[in-house]
Amino acid sequence: MLWVDKYRPKSLDKVLVHEDVAQNLKKLVTEQDCPHLLFYGPSGSGKKTLIMALLRQMFGASAEKVKVENKTWKVDAGSRTIDLELTTLSSSHHVELNPSDAGFQDRYIVQEIIKEMAKNRPIDVKGKKGFKVLVLNEVDKLSREAQHSLRRTMEKYSASCRLILCCDSSSKVTEAVRSRCLNVRISAPKEDQIVKVLEFIGKKEGLQLPPGFAARIAEKSGRSLRRAILSFETCRVQQYPFTNNQVIPPMDWEEYVSEIAADIMKEQSPKRLFQVRGKLYELLVNCIPPEVILKRLLHELLKKLDSELKHEVCHWAAYYEHSMRLGQKAIFHIEAFVAKFMSIYKGFLIATFG
Amino acid sequence: MEMDIPMPDELEWLEADLQLHEEYLDEDPEPPPLPEEEASYIEEVYEALQPEPIVKPALPIPEKVQPKKRFRPLSPNLLDPSNVDDSVEDKRCKVNDSSAIEADDDWLRYSPPPQEESVVIVEEEKETFISRYVTDIEGDFMPVTAPDGDRVYAKLVKEEKDGKLKKLDVKAPSKGLMLEPISVLLQRAEEDAIQKALQASVSSQVDANLVGTPVVNERLWVDKYSPNSFMELLSDEHTNREVLLWLKQWDTSVFGSELKSTTDDVLSALKRHSTVSQHKKVSSKNLNGWNKDSTSNNETFREDKYDHHGMQELHNKKIKDSGPPEQKILLLCGAPGLGKTTLAHVAAQHCGYRVVEINASDDRSSSTIETKILDVVQMNSVMADSRPKCLIIDEIDGALGDGKGAVDVILKMVAGDKRSDSGVENIVQTEQSGKTSSKKKKKDTPLLRPIICICNDLYAPALRPLRQVAKVLVFVQPTVNRIVSRLKYICNKEAMRTSSVALSALAEYTECDIRSCLNTLQFLNKKKEMLNVLDISSQVVGRKDASKSVFDVWKEVFQKRRLKGARKSIESSRSMFNEFDSLHSLISNCGNYDLILDGIHENILHLNYHDPVMKKTVKCLHSLEVSDIFHQYIMRTQKMSLMAYQPAIAISIHGVVSQVEKPNIQWPKSFHRYRTTLIEKVESLHMWHNKISPSISRHISTKSFVEDLVSPLLHILSPPTLKPVALHLLSEKEKKEMAHLVNTMVSYAITYKNKKIDPLPNKLKFEVATDKDTPVLSFDPPIADFVNFEGCSSNYFILGLAVKQLLCHEVENQKILQSSINRSMHGDDGKEIVKEKFSKPNRVVENDKNATKVKNPSGPTPTQQEKHTPIITVVPKSSETSTTTKKKSSSFNFFERFKKVSVNGSQLTETVKKVATSERDSRPVLFKFNEGFTNAVKRPVRMHEFFL
Repeated sequence: MLWVDKYRPKSLDKVLVHEDVAQNLKKLVTEQDCPHLLFYGPSGSGKKTLIMALLRQMFGASAEKVKVENKTWKVDAGSRTIDLELTTLSSSHHVELNPSDAGFQDRYIVQEIIKEMAKNRPIDVKGKKGFKVLVLNEVDKLSREAQHSLRRTMEKYSASCRLILCCDSSSKVTEAVRSRCLNVRISAPKEDQIVKVLEFIGKKEGLQLPPGFAARIAEKSGRSLRRAILSFETCRVQQYPFTNNQVIPPMDWEEYVSEIAADIMKEQSPKRLFQVRGKLYELLVNCIPPEVILKRLLHELLKKLDSELKHEVCHWAAYYEHSMRLGQKAIFHIEAFVAKFMSIYKGFLIATFG
Repeated sequence: MEMDIPMPDELEWLEADLQLHEEYLDEDPEPPPLPEEEASYIEEVYEALQPEPIVKPALPIPEKVQPKKRFRPLSPNLLDPSNVDDSVEDKRCKVNDSSAIEADDDWLRYSPPPQEESVVIVEEEKETFISRYVTDIEGDFMPVTAPDGDRVYAKLVKEEKDGKLKKLDVKAPSKGLMLEPISVLLQRAEEDAIQKALQASVSSQVDANLVGTPVVNERLWVDKYSPNSFMELLSDEHTNREVLLWLKQWDTSVFGSELKSTTDDVLSALKRHSTVSQHKKVSSKNLNGWNKDSTSNNETFREDKYDHHGMQELHNKKIKDSGPPEQKILLLCGAPGLGKTTLAHVAAQHCGYRVVEINASDDRSSSTIETKILDVVQMNSVMADSRPKCLIIDEIDGALGDGKGAVDVILKMVAGDKRSDSGVENIVQTEQSGKTSSKKKKKDTPLLRPIICICNDLYAPALRPLRQVAKVLVFVQPTVNRIVSRLKYICNKEAMRTSSVALSALAEYTECDIRSCLNTLQFLNKKKEMLNVLDISSQVVGRKDASKSVFDVWKEVFQKRRLKGARKSIESSRSMFNEFDSLHSLISNCGNYDLILDGIHENILHLNYHDPVMKKTVKCLHSLEVSDIFHQYIMRTQKMSLMAYQPAIAISIHGVVSQVEKPNIQWPKSFHRYRTTLIEKVESLHMWHNKISPSISRHISTKSFVEDLVSPLLHILSPPTLKPVALHLLSEKEKKEMAHLVNTMVSYAITYKNKKIDPLPNKLKFEVATDKDTPVLSFDPPIADFVNFEGCSSNYFILGLAVKQLLCHEVENQKILQSSINRSMHGDDGKEIVKEKFSKPNRVVENDKNATKVKNPSGPTPTQQEKHTPIITVVPKSSETSTTTKKKSSSFNFFERFKKVSVNGSQLTETVKKVATSERDSRPVLFKFNEGFTNAVKRPVRMHEFFL
């Protein structure tokens, strides 16, 4: 097992990073009154971990006994029936699913399957009426229609069912859904928090950490705890005992993006743009989300840019990211951004150096 | 000459007359023709007569009567003046096809024979024609009431006249009194009246123009001047000849050899009848050599002929050799108006076929088309025109769904044909077994007649399968000169004045579409206009709505149109406008905007436009972006009407980047490729995700995997510190690391897999083989692919092959172990202990315990530890028997690899599993590994060594 999984806190008490949130959640659950919850925050901040710990707090160890089901649902959508394949993780108390897997048909998952699940009310061993928990991942990727159909479900079956929603950004969740939930913001852990965690793991593993090494990893991780722990383990595998100037291996795709950025800075021409397109395709093919590419690319470009231009370039990056969301073919938009940048940069070069 | 109502006395007279002179009545069914002056009058007469029982009993003339004296029932009304009668007679002469005199003559000449016949009839049926009782009359009748109240019933008899009698009365109406139904007559009378009134009013105003009122029944020039013979064809001569040649190749199989005399044909036909007795009902009158009689058994018959007709065997062999052409279907394609259909018709006729055409206007579902084709291919008409048929399926690409049906049927027939060629014997047998079987045989009936398919778009998806079996002929545009000369010829014939410059401009404008040229000319001729060179675009009623291929569209977008001499004079703004217009129509006709814009995106960066600050590129990409957003919006909201604005985007790009030089255009593959590989990768990721235990997989999403996890994971999975030596040679710490690594791999469901599978013997032969011969072990699932960016290699340490094999082996072991542990969870404890005894990781964990006290939930009990320590020692001992350490390691390596293979082979894991279960009894099993064929490598191995 990787350290990420090995040292994942199993209960709310053992949480190291968002202790305050964990304590609040614990109080919430112990009072037997759990509202719908919406966890949001950047990736690698510990949302999932908190949710799992919360479930354990609610249902005890039985929440960890899950089985994977890959089921095909037949949904009657008016004139035709749609076959939806959905993978769910379910214990006796809760069901986890990722409704956005269904793509543009996610509406039916929400309308039919989630409703169906929400209706069935589990009965406690003691005969008490318990409630069931549905964990929905990546709610921000749900289509607007699906989110709208979700809100009625949330109200109607609130007696028997609690929803825990999890997403990266709450801005993509409709107001209506947000207002029906208790919003829990899980911020990206601060660097000193990450250092704390890394030191904890190092102690557990019996490793000698040179001073400042953990801080370097934390700094490189971009405040993602997952990435920090992973690169910590990578360092461990690469070289032990640690030295202070040890190379922390970078993410391959980030390397690649910085290569692209260097290409762009070197030459600005349609030909170069064509090469860049090939590289962008390479990134996209490897399932890297276009938004992430664009963001990273901007980041890399800004590093090398004259401060005069930064503002304008940021503006255009935002513009093209917006149009990327409206459109469908991400490559058009990223490429358009690159072209725009080239144009700006070249104009700048000509203006300054003649 | 006014007549309002029939006089009672007239009716009385009629009544009497009916009884006395019935024979006369029928004799004159001849309606008075319609002299214009009398139209209104006759109308009146008819109204008056309608209630009367003049409905004609069909009685032939009993005796010769002079035409002039013929008694006409209307004559009393029309009345007295014989000159009126004459005039009526005259008019009839005018209107009717044959002149009155002739008719009379004919009548005189031919009357005797019908007379005799009719007399018989009269004798037989006279009594029953009119009766006072209904019961006396059989069949239809009509009541007739006399003025005095007497009622009789007149039988209605259809006139039965043979041709000769018909000639006698110039035109015998089959029913009713008149030549034409009353409604038509009324209408015509009305028209005449109006005409007359008009003429009267107009003539006062002195107008001569109306004399030349338009002739309604003018034919379209296209039809009028369509080529009727092969020599007249306008289309490219090479193509023409190809078609003709292809058709001619059918001759031997369709008509039989031309060399054959008819007597031979008769003979063979007769022979056929004698051999197959079931089909005797087919009349032997059919002397034609080919298949008057052939229903579905044509082929069979021919086969029979070959078999039994000894005399002609040699001759027939020749026929068989030169049978129908290799490709039994001809596919003609080309732009509309080039004369494909005409060529097919003319060529087929030229070769002596009767053309049967199925086009888009017919029902083209596969069932109807199948029967139709079968009809054509196998039946022959009994009618006079007994030429063999040739099927022309026009516009086969027209309707996709329906056209597909036709294509399927044809393909089936071709396929069936090929099959039947091989299995003719069987068919003959089943055919003879009875008629019922022939019905079943319907599916694979052979193709015996030429089929010509015509399409506009050769690359229509529906035609893809057909393209492979058919002979494809692509039409090229005929030269402008040829068209112009033909157009000129037609214009001369139609007395239309044109200049050849204008005609060639017209031909160019319509892209040599003869049909549209002719239609345009005819239209202009009607309008009495001259063809004007400058205004062709406004004169030609509409441009052809032909869609071009996307390649053409891209070319148009990227290429500036060169202005030719004549058009250069036109001011530039005008040409701009024209260009915009033509491009717009071009793009919107193509319709597939998504594809068009993809193509633009693909190719735009290859263009050589001058763009120092990349402004143009930015502009173009921005346009593409807009179109993408637009497209998405349209799709999401289903507002298809907004699609109309898509072409404008492409045009704006055209305005920015179009060049004079010819662009090198490529099909937009990259986006498509990106999409498919992306789907593949996501799928593989998904599969892998499902394999990982949920406690881990729930924390991994696709995004976080590629963003955060892959690169570190690869590093972690391939530690550079791991030495490629056997397990037992590792230090405690290394063993611990190894265990951790294996544990990680198992929990993430990762293993190594042979990418290139070498045959086993090979590996045994080259034991110290080079790297090229050994298989490449790579991660399975292929997670390394996710960091495999082109032109950038990931810098994670790549483990040696031996280490990979070792790891793979360990992973397999661990997996087996885990599954057995899981199973034994449900079993009793004793067994569990026995099983765990052999588990290596447990051993390692024990070591862990000793060293670092890392907690492991599945940690073994001390008793186990004691139990299995002796076993570990076995292997080192055995290997120590080898002489030197170096040799030892290599030999061990060899067996390590040997073992690897055994575990890698999936079947062998099964046996290993089995062995593992048998191990439960803790009985040491001697395992003689004898796989492969070299006996040189043979050595007793203990089972537990496999687990090391």
